[in-house]
Amino acid sequence: MAGPAPARDPFDALGDPNRRAIVELLAGGDRSVQQLADALPISRPAVSRHLRLLKEAGLVVEEPRGTRRIYRLHDEGVAAVRGYLERVWGDAAGRFRVVVENTTPER
Amino acid sequence: MIEPIRLAFEVDCPADHAFDVWTGRISAWWPADHTVSGEADAAVVLEPRPGGRIFERTVSGVEHEWGEIVTWEPPGRFVYLWHLRRDRADATEVEIRFIERGDATTLVEIEHRGWEVLGAEGESWRDRNNGGWATLLPHFVAAARADAGRRRRRRPRRRQAL
Repeated sequence: MAGPAPARDPFDALGDPNRRAIVELLAGGDRSVQQLADALPISRPAVSRHLRLLKEAGLVVEEPRGTRRIYRLHDEGVAAVRGYLERVWGDAAGRFRVVVENTTPER
Repeated sequence: MIEPIRLAFEVDCPADHAFDVWTGRISAWWPADHTVSGEADAAVVLEPRPGGRIFERTVSGVEHEWGEIVTWEPPGRFVYLWHLRRDRADATEVEIRFIERGDATTLVEIEHRGWEVLGAEGESWRDRNNGGWATLLPHFVAAARADAGRRRRRRPRRRQAL
């Protein structure tokens, strides 16, 4: 993965339901703070705080567009998630091996 | 295009036993931190036939869809769509193969693929990338939700060495 490591653990950042909702909304397309606030049951300042945290975790980037700031999902976030899934499979394989080698066929 | 995730390892048992444990006793070995509910006692159920569902059932009886079996060839291999309650069109595909060696050991191969479904030709790079997120997001969100649940319970993280 290129670029500096995120300042915050992406999984930590997604520990909050509002932040998960923001990421899910952004997966549907780029949005401004106001557009996010309109779609969520939280205030605009609260949305800004969550966005700052998601930015620190490397999941979201902002870019100025005219007088507004638009937020979108960070492309490299995909690589972070893929890395996570590789760990899940490795973990699953290790656990599977322990069970399969310590059980006998039921038939 | 995102390369498939591939993993292969050997286990000390015949292929039919490996297949049975993989498909029939998922709850015994699937990492609880990658379930939708994050409940350590959630059951994972696989309906053993083409078109069969794979789902998680919490202790209180709530079911979370994981995916659907598309190829069922015991004891050699099976393939399923993994969509975690999302649209089938956003699904990735997982193939598990069990290749028996002569000495009662079995090679298990995992291939998690289909990330490229997201980028049909002609779409802009940005659209493709958002598509990548759309497919990965259910996994990511499920993981984060489970992670948050685990932290609430203050359980120590369990890790099994390979």
